[in-house]
Amino acid sequence: MTEWWNDLVAKFVLDFVEKERWRYITNGVVVTLQVTAASLLMGLVIGILVAIVRTSHDQIGKKNLHGFSGFLIRVLNAICSIYLTVIRGTPMMVQLMIMYFVILASSTNKFLVAFLSFGINSGAYIAEIMRSGIMSIDKGQMEAGRSLGLGYAKTMQKIIMPQAIKNVLPALVNEMITLLKETSICGTIGLNELTRGGDIIRGVTYDAMLPLLVVAAIYLAIVMFFTWIMGLLERRLRESDIR
Amino acid sequence: MISVRNLCKDFGAHKVLRGINYEIGQGEKIVIIGPSGSGKSTFLRCLNLLETPTSGQIFFEGTEITGKGVDINKIRQQMGMVFQHFNLFPHLSIMDNLILAPVELKLMTKEEAKEEALRLLDIVGLREKADSYPGQLSGGQKQRIAIVRSLALKPKMMLFDEPTSALDPEMVGEVLEVMKNLAEDGMTMAVVTHEMGFAKEVGTKVLFMDEGVILEEGTPEEIFGDPKQDRTKEFLSKVLI
Repeated sequence: MTEWWNDLVAKFVLDFVEKERWRYITNGVVVTLQVTAASLLMGLVIGILVAIVRTSHDQIGKKNLHGFSGFLIRVLNAICSIYLTVIRGTPMMVQLMIMYFVILASSTNKFLVAFLSFGINSGAYIAEIMRSGIMSIDKGQMEAGRSLGLGYAKTMQKIIMPQAIKNVLPALVNEMITLLKETSICGTIGLNELTRGGDIIRGVTYDAMLPLLVVAAIYLAIVMFFTWIMGLLERRLRESDIR
Repeated sequence: MISVRNLCKDFGAHKVLRGINYEIGQGEKIVIIGPSGSGKSTFLRCLNLLETPTSGQIFFEGTEITGKGVDINKIRQQMGMVFQHFNLFPHLSIMDNLILAPVELKLMTKEEAKEEALRLLDIVGLREKADSYPGQLSGGQKQRIAIVRSLALKPKMMLFDEPTSALDPEMVGEVLEVMKNLAEDGMTMAVVTHEMGFAKEVGTKVLFMDEGVILEEGTPEEIFGDPKQDRTKEFLSKVLI
Protein backbone atom coordinates (compact mmCIF):
# COMPACT_ATOMS: atom_id res chain seq x y z
CA MET A 1 0.00 0.00 0.00
CA THR A 2 2.64 2.49 1.05
CA GLU A 3 4.76 1.47 -1.89
CA TRP A 4 1.85 2.18 -4.28
CA TRP A 5 1.24 5.50 -2.56
CA ASN A 6 4.89 6.53 -2.65
CA ASP A 7 4.97 5.59 -6.31
CA LEU A 8 1.96 7.82 -6.99
CA VAL A 9 3.43 10.76 -5.11
CA ALA A 10 6.70 10.35 -6.98
CA LYS A 11 4.86 10.36 -10.30
CA PHE A 12 2.87 13.40 -9.25
CA VAL A 13 6.04 15.29 -8.39
CA LEU A 14 7.62 14.19 -11.66
CA ASP A 15 4.54 15.13 -13.72
CA PHE A 16 3.60 18.44 -12.21
CA VAL A 17 6.14 19.81 -9.73
CA GLU A 18 9.51 19.18 -11.34
CA LYS A 19 10.58 21.94 -13.71
CA GLU A 20 7.25 23.64 -13.01
CA ARG A 21 5.45 21.30 -15.40
CA TRP A 22 2.12 22.31 -13.86
CA ARG A 23 2.44 25.40 -16.00
CA TYR A 24 1.51 23.32 -19.06
CA ILE A 25 -1.81 22.63 -17.39
CA THR A 26 -2.57 26.12 -16.10
CA ASN A 27 -1.51 27.81 -19.32
CA GLY A 28 -3.55 25.23 -21.20
CA VAL A 29 -6.67 25.99 -19.15
CA VAL A 30 -6.33 29.68 -19.94
CA VAL A 31 -5.97 29.03 -23.67
CA THR A 32 -8.88 26.59 -23.68
CA LEU A 33 -11.13 29.11 -21.93
CA GLN A 34 -10.02 31.90 -24.23
CA VAL A 35 -10.71 29.90 -27.37
CA THR A 36 -14.08 28.78 -25.99
CA ALA A 37 -15.18 32.27 -24.95
CA ALA A 38 -14.07 33.96 -28.16
CA SER A 39 -15.62 31.27 -30.36
CA LEU A 40 -18.85 31.31 -28.40
CA LEU A 41 -19.16 35.05 -28.83
CA MET A 42 -18.52 34.79 -32.55
CA GLY A 43 -20.87 31.82 -32.77
CA LEU A 44 -23.63 33.79 -31.05
CA VAL A 45 -23.27 36.73 -33.42
CA ILE A 46 -23.24 34.51 -36.52
CA GLY A 47 -25.98 32.28 -35.11
CA ILE A 48 -28.40 35.09 -34.30
CA LEU A 49 -27.87 36.77 -37.68
CA VAL A 50 -28.31 33.53 -39.63
CA ALA A 51 -31.37 32.58 -37.58
CA ILE A 52 -32.99 35.96 -38.24
CA VAL A 53 -32.29 35.74 -41.98
CA ARG A 54 -33.73 32.23 -42.15
CA THR A 55 -36.85 32.94 -40.09
CA SER A 56 -37.64 36.23 -41.80
CA HIS A 57 -37.25 34.51 -45.18
CA ASP A 58 -39.70 31.82 -44.08
CA GLN A 59 -42.13 34.24 -42.40
CA ILE A 60 -42.37 36.69 -45.26
CA GLY A 61 -43.31 33.86 -47.61
CA LYS A 62 -42.42 33.24 -51.24
CA LYS A 63 -45.12 35.35 -52.85
CA ASN A 64 -44.17 38.51 -50.97
CA LEU A 65 -40.49 38.32 -51.84
CA HIS A 66 -40.32 40.85 -54.62
CA GLY A 67 -38.27 43.94 -55.30
CA PHE A 68 -34.72 44.53 -54.16
CA SER A 69 -35.27 43.62 -50.50
CA GLY A 70 -36.94 40.38 -51.56
CA PHE A 71 -33.98 39.59 -53.81
CA LEU A 72 -31.55 40.43 -51.01
CA ILE A 73 -33.25 38.21 -48.45
CA ARG A 74 -33.32 35.34 -50.96
CA VAL A 75 -29.62 35.64 -51.64
CA LEU A 76 -28.83 35.87 -47.92
CA ASN A 77 -31.03 32.88 -47.20
CA ALA A 78 -29.26 30.85 -49.89
CA ILE A 79 -25.85 31.77 -48.45
CA CYS A 80 -27.01 30.80 -44.96
CA SER A 81 -28.37 27.46 -46.20
CA ILE A 82 -25.07 26.60 -47.87
CA TYR A 83 -23.15 27.65 -44.76
CA LEU A 84 -25.30 25.45 -42.50
CA THR A 85 -25.08 22.46 -44.84
CA VAL A 86 -21.32 22.62 -45.27
CA ILE A 87 -20.43 23.31 -41.65
CA ARG A 88 -22.79 20.74 -40.16
CA GLY A 89 -21.89 18.19 -42.82
CA THR A 90 -18.13 18.10 -42.29
CA PRO A 91 -16.11 17.10 -39.21
CA MET A 92 -14.80 19.83 -36.92
CA MET A 93 -11.29 18.41 -37.09
CA VAL A 94 -11.27 18.66 -40.90
CA GLN A 95 -12.59 22.24 -40.76
CA LEU A 96 -9.85 23.16 -38.29
CA MET A 97 -7.14 21.67 -40.49
CA ILE A 98 -8.51 23.30 -43.65
CA MET A 99 -8.43 26.64 -41.83
CA TYR A 100 -4.87 26.03 -40.62
CA PHE A 101 -3.24 24.39 -43.63
CA VAL A 102 -5.24 25.97 -46.48
CA ILE A 103 -7.19 29.14 -45.77
CA LEU A 104 -4.87 30.71 -43.20
CA ALA A 105 -1.75 28.77 -44.21
CA SER A 106 0.20 32.02 -44.21
CA SER A 107 -0.73 32.84 -40.62
CA THR A 108 1.26 31.60 -37.67
CA ASN A 109 -1.33 32.77 -35.17
CA LYS A 110 -2.75 29.44 -34.01
CA PHE A 111 -5.15 31.08 -31.59
CA LEU A 112 -6.70 33.06 -34.44
CA VAL A 113 -7.07 29.89 -36.52
CA ALA A 114 -8.72 28.01 -33.66
CA PHE A 115 -11.00 30.89 -32.73
CA LEU A 116 -12.18 31.42 -36.32
CA SER A 117 -12.75 27.72 -36.98
CA PHE A 118 -14.67 27.11 -33.79
CA GLY A 119 -16.61 30.36 -34.07
CA ILE A 120 -17.74 29.54 -37.60
CA ASN A 121 -18.54 25.97 -36.62
CA SER A 122 -20.43 26.93 -33.49
CA GLY A 123 -22.35 29.61 -35.37
CA ALA A 124 -24.02 26.95 -37.51
CA TYR A 125 -25.29 25.04 -34.50
CA ILE A 126 -26.30 28.15 -32.58
CA ALA A 127 -28.18 29.37 -35.69
CA GLU A 128 -30.40 26.31 -35.60
CA ILE A 129 -30.86 26.62 -31.84
CA MET A 130 -31.84 30.28 -32.20
CA ARG A 131 -34.15 29.50 -35.09
CA SER A 132 -36.06 27.00 -33.00
CA GLY A 133 -36.20 29.63 -30.26
CA ILE A 134 -37.60 32.30 -32.56
CA MET A 135 -40.15 29.87 -33.99
CA SER A 136 -41.28 28.93 -30.49
CA ILE A 137 -42.57 32.48 -29.90
CA ASP A 138 -46.25 32.96 -30.67
CA LYS A 139 -46.77 34.99 -33.85
CA GLY A 140 -49.10 37.25 -31.88
CA GLN A 141 -46.00 38.75 -30.26
CA MET A 142 -44.68 39.94 -33.60
CA GLU A 143 -48.14 41.22 -34.56
CA ALA A 144 -48.49 43.09 -31.28
CA GLY A 145 -45.08 44.71 -31.72
CA ARG A 146 -45.80 45.68 -35.30
CA SER A 147 -49.28 46.96 -34.49
CA LEU A 148 -47.68 49.37 -32.01
CA GLY A 149 -45.71 50.88 -34.86
CA LEU A 150 -42.40 49.19 -34.04
CA GLY A 151 -40.41 48.06 -37.07
CA TYR A 152 -39.47 44.45 -37.80
CA ALA A 153 -35.92 44.83 -36.48
CA LYS A 154 -37.02 46.64 -33.30
CA THR A 155 -39.69 44.05 -32.59
CA MET A 156 -37.15 41.28 -33.09
CA GLN A 157 -34.66 42.97 -30.80
CA LYS A 158 -36.98 44.04 -27.98
CA ILE A 159 -39.74 41.45 -28.03
CA ILE A 160 -38.88 38.27 -29.91
CA MET A 161 -35.19 37.71 -29.18
CA PRO A 162 -35.31 38.18 -25.38
CA GLN A 163 -38.02 35.55 -25.16
CA ALA A 164 -36.38 33.26 -27.70
CA ILE A 165 -33.01 33.32 -25.95
CA LYS A 166 -34.67 32.55 -22.64
CA ASN A 167 -36.40 29.54 -24.19
CA VAL A 168 -33.22 28.13 -25.72
CA LEU A 169 -30.87 28.88 -22.84
CA PRO A 170 -30.49 25.20 -21.85
CA ALA A 171 -29.65 24.30 -25.46
CA LEU A 172 -27.15 27.17 -25.61
CA VAL A 173 -25.42 25.96 -22.45
CA ASN A 174 -25.25 22.54 -24.04
CA GLU A 175 -23.61 24.05 -27.11
CA MET A 176 -21.12 25.89 -24.92
CA ILE A 177 -20.19 22.68 -23.09
CA THR A 178 -19.75 20.85 -26.40
CA LEU A 179 -17.62 23.70 -27.68
CA LEU A 180 -15.40 23.70 -24.59
CA LYS A 181 -14.73 19.99 -24.90
CA GLU A 182 -14.28 20.10 -28.65
CA THR A 183 -11.46 22.65 -28.38
CA SER A 184 -9.39 19.69 -27.16
CA ILE A 185 -8.63 18.91 -30.83
CA CYS A 186 -6.73 22.18 -31.17
CA GLY A 187 -3.64 20.17 -30.32
CA THR A 188 -3.63 18.93 -33.92
CA ILE A 189 -2.63 22.38 -35.11
CA GLY A 190 -0.17 22.74 -32.26
CA LEU A 191 -2.11 25.15 -30.09
CA ASN A 192 -1.09 24.62 -26.47
CA GLU A 193 -4.48 24.21 -24.88
CA LEU A 194 -5.38 22.02 -21.93
CA THR A 195 -5.36 18.60 -23.60
CA ARG A 196 -2.09 19.30 -25.37
CA GLY A 197 -0.63 20.49 -22.07
CA GLY A 198 -1.32 17.04 -20.63
CA ASP A 199 0.10 15.44 -23.76
CA ILE A 200 3.34 17.37 -23.50
CA ILE A 201 3.81 16.24 -19.89
CA ARG A 202 3.14 12.64 -20.93
CA GLY A 203 5.70 12.96 -23.70
CA VAL A 204 8.35 14.13 -21.26
CA THR A 205 7.65 11.92 -18.25
CA TYR A 206 6.24 8.82 -20.00
CA ASP A 207 3.44 8.77 -17.42
CA ALA A 208 0.00 8.76 -19.07
CA MET A 209 -2.37 8.25 -16.17
CA LEU A 210 -1.96 11.30 -13.96
CA PRO A 211 -1.78 14.00 -16.66
CA LEU A 212 -4.83 12.58 -18.43
CA LEU A 213 -6.84 12.22 -15.23
CA VAL A 214 -5.99 15.76 -14.18
CA VAL A 215 -6.93 17.10 -17.61
CA ALA A 216 -10.24 15.21 -17.50
CA ALA A 217 -10.97 16.46 -13.98
CA ILE A 218 -10.36 20.06 -15.02
CA TYR A 219 -12.75 19.79 -18.00
CA LEU A 220 -15.34 18.25 -15.71
CA ALA A 221 -14.92 20.98 -13.11
CA ILE A 222 -15.31 23.75 -15.71
CA VAL A 223 -18.42 22.13 -17.18
CA MET A 224 -19.97 21.74 -13.72
CA PHE A 225 -19.19 25.36 -12.94
CA PHE A 226 -20.87 26.56 -16.16
CA THR A 227 -23.91 24.40 -15.47
CA TRP A 228 -24.21 25.92 -12.02
CA ILE A 229 -23.87 29.50 -13.26
CA MET A 230 -26.48 28.89 -15.93
CA GLY A 231 -28.81 27.45 -13.32
CA LEU A 232 -28.62 30.75 -11.44
CA LEU A 233 -29.12 32.75 -14.63
CA GLU A 234 -32.09 30.68 -15.70
CA ARG A 235 -33.77 31.18 -12.36
CA ARG A 236 -33.29 34.93 -12.69
CA LEU A 237 -34.69 34.98 -16.21
CA ARG A 238 -37.69 33.01 -15.04
CA GLU A 239 -38.69 35.95 -12.84
CA SER A 240 -41.40 36.92 -15.30
CA ASP A 241 -42.89 33.41 -15.24
CA ILE A 242 -44.23 33.73 -11.71
CA ARG A 243 -47.92 33.14 -11.63
CA MET B 1 -61.08 58.71 -41.46
CA ILE B 2 -60.65 55.34 -43.14
CA SER B 3 -61.88 54.58 -46.57
CA VAL B 4 -61.75 51.09 -48.03
CA ARG B 5 -62.15 50.49 -51.75
CA ASN B 6 -62.75 47.12 -53.33
CA LEU B 7 -60.60 45.30 -50.80
CA CYS B 8 -59.83 41.67 -51.64
CA LYS B 9 -57.74 39.15 -49.78
CA ASP B 10 -56.89 35.61 -50.87
CA PHE B 11 -55.16 32.94 -48.85
CA GLY B 12 -53.97 30.75 -51.69
CA ALA B 13 -57.06 29.66 -53.61
CA HIS B 14 -59.32 30.65 -50.73
CA LYS B 15 -60.95 34.05 -51.23
CA VAL B 16 -61.48 35.47 -47.74
CA LEU B 17 -62.44 39.02 -48.69
CA ARG B 18 -64.25 39.55 -51.96
CA GLY B 19 -64.55 43.25 -52.54
CA ILE B 20 -65.17 45.36 -49.45
CA ASN B 21 -66.12 49.00 -49.80
CA TYR B 22 -66.60 51.06 -46.68
CA GLU B 23 -65.99 54.43 -45.09
CA ILE B 24 -65.43 54.93 -41.39
CA GLY B 25 -65.92 58.49 -40.24
CA GLN B 26 -64.33 60.35 -37.35
CA GLY B 27 -65.82 59.26 -34.02
CA GLU B 28 -67.81 56.39 -35.44
CA LYS B 29 -67.99 53.06 -33.62
CA ILE B 30 -68.27 50.31 -36.18
CA VAL B 31 -69.20 46.87 -34.94
CA ILE B 32 -68.56 43.98 -37.29
CA ILE B 33 -70.54 40.80 -36.74
CA GLY B 34 -70.94 37.62 -38.71
CA PRO B 35 -70.35 33.88 -38.65
CA SER B 36 -66.83 32.52 -38.23
CA GLY B 37 -64.92 32.36 -41.49
CA SER B 38 -66.84 35.32 -42.87
CA GLY B 39 -63.68 37.46 -43.05
CA LYS B 40 -64.39 39.84 -40.14
CA SER B 41 -61.00 39.50 -38.52
CA THR B 42 -59.16 39.53 -41.84
CA PHE B 43 -60.96 42.75 -42.77
CA LEU B 44 -59.93 44.34 -39.49
CA ARG B 45 -56.34 43.13 -39.82
CA CYS B 46 -56.15 44.58 -43.33
CA LEU B 47 -56.94 48.03 -41.96
CA ASN B 48 -53.51 48.28 -40.32
CA LEU B 49 -51.90 45.97 -42.87
CA LEU B 50 -51.21 43.10 -40.51
CA GLU B 51 -52.60 41.26 -43.52
CA THR B 52 -51.45 42.51 -46.90
CA PRO B 53 -54.48 42.95 -49.16
CA THR B 54 -54.39 41.03 -52.43
CA SER B 55 -56.01 43.96 -54.21
CA GLY B 56 -57.93 47.12 -53.43
CA GLN B 57 -57.08 50.34 -51.66
CA ILE B 58 -57.21 51.60 -48.09
CA PHE B 59 -56.96 55.29 -47.27
CA PHE B 60 -56.23 56.57 -43.77
CA GLU B 61 -56.86 60.29 -43.41
CA GLY B 62 -56.35 60.77 -47.12
CA THR B 63 -53.12 58.75 -47.36
CA GLU B 64 -53.26 55.57 -49.37
CA ILE B 65 -51.64 53.11 -46.97
CA THR B 66 -51.76 50.34 -49.55
CA GLY B 67 -49.63 52.49 -51.88
CA LYS B 68 -45.89 52.31 -52.37
CA GLY B 69 -43.44 54.10 -50.11
CA VAL B 70 -45.83 54.51 -47.19
CA ASP B 71 -44.23 54.28 -43.73
CA ILE B 72 -46.70 51.81 -42.30
CA ASN B 73 -45.09 52.03 -38.86
CA LYS B 74 -46.08 55.70 -38.65
CA ILE B 75 -49.66 54.83 -39.64
CA ARG B 76 -49.87 51.99 -37.13
CA GLN B 77 -48.89 54.32 -34.28
CA GLN B 78 -52.16 56.14 -34.96
CA MET B 79 -54.21 52.94 -35.11
CA GLY B 80 -54.19 50.96 -31.89
CA MET B 81 -55.02 47.28 -32.06
CA VAL B 82 -56.34 44.93 -29.41
CA PHE B 83 -56.14 41.19 -30.00
CA GLN B 84 -58.24 38.25 -28.92
CA HIS B 85 -55.29 36.71 -27.07
CA PHE B 86 -54.05 39.98 -25.54
CA ASN B 87 -50.49 39.47 -26.81
CA LEU B 88 -48.90 41.25 -23.88
CA PHE B 89 -45.11 40.85 -23.78
CA PRO B 90 -44.63 38.19 -21.11
CA HIS B 91 -40.96 38.99 -20.45
CA LEU B 92 -41.71 42.61 -19.54
CA SER B 93 -43.46 44.06 -16.50
CA ILE B 94 -46.79 45.79 -17.06
CA MET B 95 -45.06 49.17 -16.85
CA ASP B 96 -42.49 48.13 -19.46
CA ASN B 97 -45.26 46.77 -21.68
CA LEU B 98 -46.86 50.21 -21.61
CA ILE B 99 -43.77 52.35 -22.15
CA LEU B 100 -41.91 50.15 -24.67
CA ALA B 101 -43.45 51.57 -27.82
CA PRO B 102 -43.62 55.29 -26.83
CA VAL B 103 -40.00 55.23 -25.66
CA GLU B 104 -38.60 53.13 -28.52
CA LEU B 105 -40.40 55.29 -31.05
CA LYS B 106 -38.97 58.36 -29.32
CA LEU B 107 -42.40 59.90 -28.86
CA MET B 108 -41.79 60.45 -25.15
CA THR B 109 -38.93 60.33 -22.69
CA LYS B 110 -38.95 57.43 -20.27
CA GLU B 111 -40.21 59.68 -17.46
CA GLU B 112 -43.04 61.12 -19.54
CA ALA B 113 -44.02 57.65 -20.70
CA LYS B 114 -44.10 56.34 -17.13
CA GLU B 115 -46.25 59.22 -16.00
CA GLU B 116 -48.63 58.65 -18.89
CA ALA B 117 -48.66 54.90 -18.16
CA LEU B 118 -49.63 55.47 -14.54
CA ARG B 119 -52.42 57.80 -15.64
CA LEU B 120 -53.70 55.12 -18.02
CA LEU B 121 -53.39 52.40 -15.39
CA ASP B 122 -55.50 54.56 -13.06
CA ILE B 123 -58.22 54.77 -15.68
CA VAL B 124 -58.51 50.99 -15.85
CA GLY B 125 -57.96 50.62 -12.12
CA LEU B 126 -54.76 48.60 -12.37
CA ARG B 127 -52.17 51.01 -11.02
CA GLU B 128 -51.03 48.55 -8.38
CA LYS B 129 -50.15 46.04 -11.11
CA ALA B 130 -47.48 48.26 -12.66
CA ASP B 131 -44.64 46.06 -11.45
CA SER B 132 -46.38 42.73 -12.02
CA TYR B 133 -45.76 40.51 -15.02
CA PRO B 134 -48.50 39.54 -17.48
CA GLY B 135 -48.43 35.95 -16.22
CA GLN B 136 -49.67 37.13 -12.84
CA LEU B 137 -52.80 38.80 -14.22
CA SER B 138 -56.26 37.44 -14.99
CA GLY B 139 -57.53 37.44 -18.57
CA GLY B 140 -59.69 40.50 -18.00
CA GLN B 141 -56.81 42.40 -16.45
CA LYS B 142 -54.52 41.43 -19.32
CA GLN B 143 -56.99 42.70 -21.88
CA ARG B 144 -57.44 45.98 -20.03
CA ILE B 145 -53.66 46.37 -20.02
CA ALA B 146 -53.55 45.53 -23.73
CA ILE B 147 -56.06 48.30 -24.40
CA VAL B 148 -54.11 50.94 -22.49
CA ARG B 149 -50.86 49.74 -24.08
CA SER B 150 -52.33 50.84 -27.40
CA LEU B 151 -53.69 54.04 -25.88
CA ALA B 152 -50.21 54.98 -24.67
CA LEU B 153 -49.43 56.00 -28.26
CA LYS B 154 -52.46 58.33 -28.29
CA PRO B 155 -53.95 56.73 -31.40
CA LYS B 156 -56.65 58.35 -33.49
CA MET B 157 -58.46 55.08 -33.93
CA MET B 158 -58.70 51.70 -32.22
CA LEU B 159 -59.21 48.27 -33.77
CA PHE B 160 -60.57 45.48 -31.59
CA ASP B 161 -60.30 41.90 -32.83
CA GLU B 162 -62.70 39.82 -30.73
CA PRO B 163 -61.40 41.39 -27.51
CA THR B 164 -63.62 39.36 -25.19
CA SER B 165 -63.72 35.99 -26.96
CA ALA B 166 -60.86 34.45 -24.96
CA LEU B 167 -62.16 35.64 -21.59
CA ASP B 168 -64.03 33.85 -18.83
CA PRO B 169 -67.64 35.07 -18.92
CA GLU B 170 -67.33 36.92 -15.63
CA MET B 171 -64.43 38.99 -16.99
CA VAL B 172 -66.14 40.13 -20.17
CA GLY B 173 -67.92 42.98 -18.38
CA GLU B 174 -64.81 44.75 -17.09
CA VAL B 175 -63.27 44.84 -20.57
CA LEU B 176 -66.46 46.04 -22.25
CA GLU B 177 -66.70 48.73 -19.60
CA VAL B 178 -63.29 50.10 -20.59
CA MET B 179 -64.31 50.01 -24.24
CA LYS B 180 -67.57 51.83 -23.53
CA ASN B 181 -65.72 54.57 -21.69
CA LEU B 182 -63.35 54.86 -24.60
CA ALA B 183 -66.30 55.16 -26.96
CA GLU B 184 -67.86 57.87 -24.82
CA ASP B 185 -64.62 59.82 -24.99
CA GLY B 186 -65.11 60.00 -28.73
CA MET B 187 -62.58 57.43 -29.94
CA THR B 188 -63.10 56.12 -33.44
CA MET B 189 -63.46 52.36 -33.10
CA ALA B 190 -63.82 49.27 -35.26
CA VAL B 191 -64.79 46.22 -33.24
CA VAL B 192 -65.14 42.61 -34.32
CA THR B 193 -67.19 40.94 -31.63
CA HIS B 194 -69.82 38.40 -30.72
CA GLU B 195 -71.12 40.65 -27.92
CA MET B 196 -74.43 41.73 -29.43
CA GLY B 197 -75.30 43.73 -26.31
CA PHE B 198 -72.20 45.83 -26.81
CA ALA B 199 -72.97 46.22 -30.51
CA LYS B 200 -76.43 47.54 -29.69
CA GLU B 201 -75.35 49.85 -26.95
CA VAL B 202 -72.15 51.33 -28.34
CA GLY B 203 -72.17 50.80 -32.09
CA THR B 204 -73.06 53.67 -34.38
CA LYS B 205 -73.08 51.24 -37.29
CA VAL B 206 -73.27 47.48 -37.43
CA LEU B 207 -71.82 45.55 -40.36
CA PHE B 208 -72.96 42.01 -41.01
CA MET B 209 -70.32 40.11 -42.96
CA ASP B 210 -70.70 36.78 -44.68
CA GLU B 211 -68.45 34.97 -47.14
CA GLY B 212 -66.08 37.87 -47.58
CA VAL B 213 -68.54 40.66 -48.27
CA ILE B 214 -70.48 43.16 -46.21
CA LEU B 215 -73.91 41.68 -46.65
CA GLU B 216 -75.80 44.26 -44.69
CA GLU B 217 -75.05 47.44 -42.81
CA GLY B 218 -77.07 49.83 -40.75
CA THR B 219 -77.66 51.28 -37.33
CA PRO B 220 -77.96 48.73 -34.51
CA GLU B 221 -81.75 49.33 -34.53
CA GLU B 222 -81.97 48.49 -38.22
CA ILE B 223 -79.75 45.40 -38.06
CA PHE B 224 -81.10 43.91 -34.87
CA GLY B 225 -84.66 45.17 -35.16
CA ASP B 226 -85.37 44.75 -38.82
CA PRO B 227 -82.70 42.83 -40.74
CA LYS B 228 -83.27 42.81 -44.49
CA GLN B 229 -81.24 39.80 -45.57
CA ASP B 230 -82.31 36.23 -44.83
CA ARG B 231 -78.71 35.33 -43.95
CA THR B 232 -78.62 38.10 -41.33
CA LYS B 233 -81.93 36.96 -39.86
CA GLU B 234 -80.68 33.38 -39.71
CA PHE B 235 -77.44 34.42 -38.00
CA LEU B 236 -79.15 36.66 -35.47
CA SER B 237 -81.70 33.98 -34.63
CA LYS B 238 -78.84 31.68 -33.65
CA VAL B 239 -76.95 34.06 -31.39
CA LEU B 240 -78.03 35.15 -27.98
CA ILE B 241 -78.88 38.79 -27.75
